Amino acid sequence: MMDVGRHPRINLMTFSEVESVTGFVGNFQVTVRKKARYVNPDECTACAECAKVCPVAVPDEYQQGFSSRKAIYLPFPQAVPSSYILEMDNCLGNNPIACGKCAEACEKHCIDYDDQDKLVNFEVGVIIAATGMDVYDPTDYDEYGYTRFENVITSMEFERLICAGGPTEGHFIRPSDRKIPQRIGFIQCVGSRSRDGRGNPYCSNICCMNTVKDTLLLCDHYPGVEAKVFYMDMRSFGKGFEDLYMRSREEGVKYIRGIPGEVVENPESRNLVLTVENTTTGKLEQHELEMLVLSQGVIPRRDGEGIRKLLTLSTTSDGFIMESHPKLKPVDAPTRGVYIAGCVESPKDVKDSVTQASAAAARASILLNAGKTRIEAITSQVDADLCNYCGICAKVCPYNAIMAPDRKEKKAPVIIQAACAGCGACAAECPQDAIAMRHFKDEQIMAQIEGVLAEHPHKHLLTFACNWCSYAGGDMAGTARLQYPTTCRLIRTMCSGRVDEKFVIHAFRLGAPMVLVSGCHFADCHYINAVHWTQKRMDRLWNRLDKLGIRPDRLQLEWISAAEGQKFARVMRELEDRVKAVTSEEIEHTMKVLADEEAKVQKRKEKPAVEVTVQ
Amino acid sequence: MTAKEVRFKCLMCGHEYTGMYDHDNVTERSCPKCRSNSVRRLPDRKPAEKK
Repeated sequence: MMDVGRHPRINLMTFSEVESVTGFVGNFQVTVRKKARYVNPDECTACAECAKVCPVAVPDEYQQGFSSRKAIYLPFPQAVPSSYILEMDNCLGNNPIACGKCAEACEKHCIDYDDQDKLVNFEVGVIIAATGMDVYDPTDYDEYGYTRFENVITSMEFERLICAGGPTEGHFIRPSDRKIPQRIGFIQCVGSRSRDGRGNPYCSNICCMNTVKDTLLLCDHYPGVEAKVFYMDMRSFGKGFEDLYMRSREEGVKYIRGIPGEVVENPESRNLVLTVENTTTGKLEQHELEMLVLSQGVIPRRDGEGIRKLLTLSTTSDGFIMESHPKLKPVDAPTRGVYIAGCVESPKDVKDSVTQASAAAARASILLNAGKTRIEAITSQVDADLCNYCGICAKVCPYNAIMAPDRKEKKAPVIIQAACAGCGACAAECPQDAIAMRHFKDEQIMAQIEGVLAEHPHKHLLTFACNWCSYAGGDMAGTARLQYPTTCRLIRTMCSGRVDEKFVIHAFRLGAPMVLVSGCHFADCHYINAVHWTQKRMDRLWNRLDKLGIRPDRLQLEWISAAEGQKFARVMRELEDRVKAVTSEEIEHTMKVLADEEAKVQKRKEKPAVEVTVQ
Repeated sequence: MTAKEVRFKCLMCGHEYTGMYDHDNVTERSCPKCRSNSVRRLPDRKPAEKK
């Protein structure tokens, strides 16, 4: 980190927040708020004279609250820049000056109580998001007594207690009596792999090996100590990890397969008694421990929503940022020119984070060195002659790629081709059909519908499938050799958001008995939130069909991910039965109703808005 | 716009239920009975005005 701080071509902005990001790949305009530090970092030598005289003491966040710090403090010993920060919320010396001791003690005159936040604007070509993660708060698991028993701590708190730079200078003591505990337990998967509504369903990846490391540290520092690990599965994949795990077992650490259901405290000794079902022996056991460590999982950053919105990124169902492609583009974000690294993408250890960061830097440098980029030709175009300047296209665009002037200006919107990702939601929502999406134009999709329904339309299930999930789900069903009816006909669109109302109506008009629209699950949408518009459009379509006397359930909607081959096959089988249940009379009635409606619309179009009578 | 309570109908199994709906914050719907995503938000029924 020191090297980064000293590098002449790296502008390191600490204690800062990104306020806004506009533009597109190669041309991002970024505004950053540099928060007031009240200490000049260029002059501060971190001599600590200011902290010595500061009368305010508050809990030290870095030491997990085990010790205190002053209102003017160094965030942590390795901080870059190595400069103190004055926390104004706790300082006594602000307006009117009541204290001012730190300013008096500072020989370099670094302290400025009137320092203000500064907004800095600059342009960048690419952005790498590496905003990290937070740790799970174990207070939900009341049975472990984290909020009730002093000797129950988290793995983060354990780190501080065992660290030589920690509040106890590396002496591992239990909080209740400051004695070195002899029997220590670790409970794994606190907040991870949980399906009971508390915690998260995913594996946090790093906790198993962190505990193995902690037990080895304990055995190394205190040879007589007895350590027990309560787990559901120990996951020691990775280079050298299994050896480390075996070393821990050889050191005498007991690994008990079972998660405790209850922890009670002996009020006299302050020892903790765990009740656990040992699933290896099938017996209920009780273990008395002097200290308990909860191996807490990791979660996406609690304040990560802001940066996600600024960079128009999407998240997975776990809340981590979704990559462009899990195998082929693991460090690319769906927004062009944005890359991701570290735990912002998923829980991972230092080695994986460094690997991913190196990959992201390499991907970014390829783009920067080239100076130009190629984009997919699947982007939208506006026909200015048809546009009525309503601005709906700009509203629906998940990438803010459409710049629509005020309606009064009567100017057609401009589509930033470099920012357009090609979901087609704008083309589907445009009431004037003024937007065409290259390679997925209305005429092209209409022609596919007509082709599919040219012969025996009443036998076919017409399905619109999005490129990334549902279509891949169909592929998955095929490769897994799952049986589904041969009568289903798939039309691929890049996103279900591209499925225009008129495509569905046209299919029914041509005699389709059933239509299925399928796309990604909301959390998996490859175009941020384009599926939201699919859902809204389907509501409109169902209402329209209802008004026309057409059964709305002939139009179905399913979210099918690329891994849900089984769901794809099941839905197809279920809908095949429904296709057979639609009678030819019903199909003919639908075709007649829609033909009549089409004729009415045509007549309205031909009728001039203002009739002029020549006398 | 805040969320309001609306009626939903599953177009796969016909199950009707009430739930919260926020126009600005659309969430994925699935039928609590059959898990299908073909869940229609039924239009609001306004009471007839007295003349």
